[in-house]
Amino acid sequence: MTRTITIDHLSRVEGHGGITVVLEGDRVSKVEFDVFEGIRLFEGLVRGRSMEDVTGIVSRICAICSHGHSITSLQALENALGVEVTPQTRRLRDLAYHGSNIESHALHVFCLALPDLLGHPSVVSLAGVMPDAVKTALRLKKLGNTIQEVIGGRAVHPVNYVIGGFGKVPGTDDLLALKKEITAGLADCERALEVLATVSIPDFVREPIRCAALLPEDEAFFFGSIIGICDGDGVTRIPVRDYRTLTNEHCVSHSHAKHSQHDNRSYMVGALARLTLNGSRIDGLARKAWERLRLSVPSANIVMNNIAQAVEMIYSVEQALKIVNGLIAEGIRDEASALYRPHACRGAAATEVPRGTLYYSYELDDQGRVLSADVITPTAQNLSNAEDQMRAVVTQTAGVSDSLLKQWLQIVARAYDPCISCSVHVIRATN
Amino acid sequence: MKPKIGIFGLSGCWGEQIVILNCEDQLLDIVGAVDIVDFLGGSSANDEEGPLAVAFIEGSVANAREEASLRRIRERAQLLVACGSCACFGGVAAMDAMEPREQVIQRVYGDYGAAIGWDIGPHRPLGDFVKVDVAIPGCPMEKTEFLKVVASLLNGDVPLLPAYPVCLECKMNENDCLLVNQGLPCAGPVTVAGCGARCPAYNVACIGCRGPVEEANISSLEKILLEKKLHEVEIKRKLRTFAAPVLDREEKRGLA
Repeated sequence: MTRTITIDHLSRVEGHGGITVVLEGDRVSKVEFDVFEGIRLFEGLVRGRSMEDVTGIVSRICAICSHGHSITSLQALENALGVEVTPQTRRLRDLAYHGSNIESHALHVFCLALPDLLGHPSVVSLAGVMPDAVKTALRLKKLGNTIQEVIGGRAVHPVNYVIGGFGKVPGTDDLLALKKEITAGLADCERALEVLATVSIPDFVREPIRCAALLPEDEAFFFGSIIGICDGDGVTRIPVRDYRTLTNEHCVSHSHAKHSQHDNRSYMVGALARLTLNGSRIDGLARKAWERLRLSVPSANIVMNNIAQAVEMIYSVEQALKIVNGLIAEGIRDEASALYRPHACRGAAATEVPRGTLYYSYELDDQGRVLSADVITPTAQNLSNAEDQMRAVVTQTAGVSDSLLKQWLQIVARAYDPCISCSVHVIRATN
Repeated sequence: MKPKIGIFGLSGCWGEQIVILNCEDQLLDIVGAVDIVDFLGGSSANDEEGPLAVAFIEGSVANAREEASLRRIRERAQLLVACGSCACFGGVAAMDAMEPREQVIQRVYGDYGAAIGWDIGPHRPLGDFVKVDVAIPGCPMEKTEFLKVVASLLNGDVPLLPAYPVCLECKMNENDCLLVNQGLPCAGPVTVAGCGARCPAYNVACIGCRGPVEEANISSLEKILLEKKLHEVEIKRKLRTFAAPVLDREEKRGLA
């Protein structure tokens, strides 16, 4: 007997996607994470555009990761051109990433995922019963946006990032104001932790998760030149310049989006993957949150990615304060952005954006025009893994009702915090 | 009874929905003043059929499926607000490419794409299909303009947004002129204001993300940029990054 379970349109995710599961008797014959976002073809559209123009265009791939898209794009261009940015520029960019991480995780954990875990259809409904918790989350979300605004000039689609540095370096007054906000944010992190400690994380599926993340080389948590991927007890290391040997993007007949697999097996990127590979860096209140929320890595429960995001959000608030204090103590300098000269070249870069590793590479001609561009987003990498996890849900929960199964499949899909709008590589088939 | 509101996204980056969610200080007040009954991005309990006082829609129309859903929303809504440059002008996905879209698809997705035969309608603004009552430009739209529109509509007023160029805001801020004094390719003279001339305040030339101001004198700016030694094709593509479909229409109207 064939049984089909369809979720037409996933709610509370960024972009348009659905889920289709087909069972033949007890056997799962098909699991699709469908993506029907209109194709936008960014990599093709930026061909021929000047290297000064492309970053402002690719930022538009995704609003919520727009700082990550902009800075990864710039780092790929800088790597191609041989431009070295100053330590101050690197720290300010790192600070912006912590801002993005706070904003994105506060939004996802509290506004999109928490309603699931507490049986509410939306954060508005949640606000009716837990107004203080929602207000705390909104303040943290705003803090993340404020950091992004101060460094990038705008919360969505930043304007201040240029090749080699910034249009305008933030001033000491900006940093002093930020310091005040971030300090207040630490108290909100304590409040957020109290709320999350009361939530029980569903444990309906146990399926090992293979993790991949950049391995940081200095205090910058989201930057690195080596990718680590967990294989059994060990970690395989791949230089970012060889990223295609990890991502292996390919089109698959049963899906509308390109998929990524390494050694023919799927992998997961995002907060849980980062904490699995780089968790030893987590200290302070974030470490307390880790223990209190009973995070353990490696985890075989994908829903724990929500908890990993919460821990990372707290870590990012603490790190942001550290960076701001450091910049104030040393005195921020009004540095001009690094100089560069167009020449035929190519380069790649990767950074950790809230949802996982984001890859960019460019090839430029001698006039600084784009000959080719490649962008691989975290969600594109996670689709294959999400299908494996959904398959596990269906297999491991035989006998549950369709409506409960639908609910669980959505919880699993949302656990990845999918960002379907990251539309590069997103394919739409005909109706 | 509170007015019923819907918030929708077609093809885009989710920027306007994020901007709405970024109104952290006003969000709970907004929820107190209106009833958000259909917002797939924020809720899993939606009324997808009933009438709406106002529909806020972001994104461009990329295919028949989106056109159909736009028409359904229009039928339900008393007022339709186009949010952001994709909805108002077509946005970045509608920009000029170096080759026809079929070839761009082949380039991005290889033979697989060519084999499937996709619905690759060009990205178009909402106004190409339905009546748009209010347009909030911007990539993304400004939080302040969104809040202003919400407040105006709640009070039964027609929202008034700037109809002058970014250049004017820039002058009012007493910024150094990036175009004339620094020779940078700034789109401020032809771009509609409302952002407070944000980019020039960061010493970055305006990229025209808010779309063309009414009666923009684009050919005059092109002449200035040519004098600045910019390549003609590059100038065209630069100025048409966010609003190619409406500029095409304006151009046709000029020729007629």
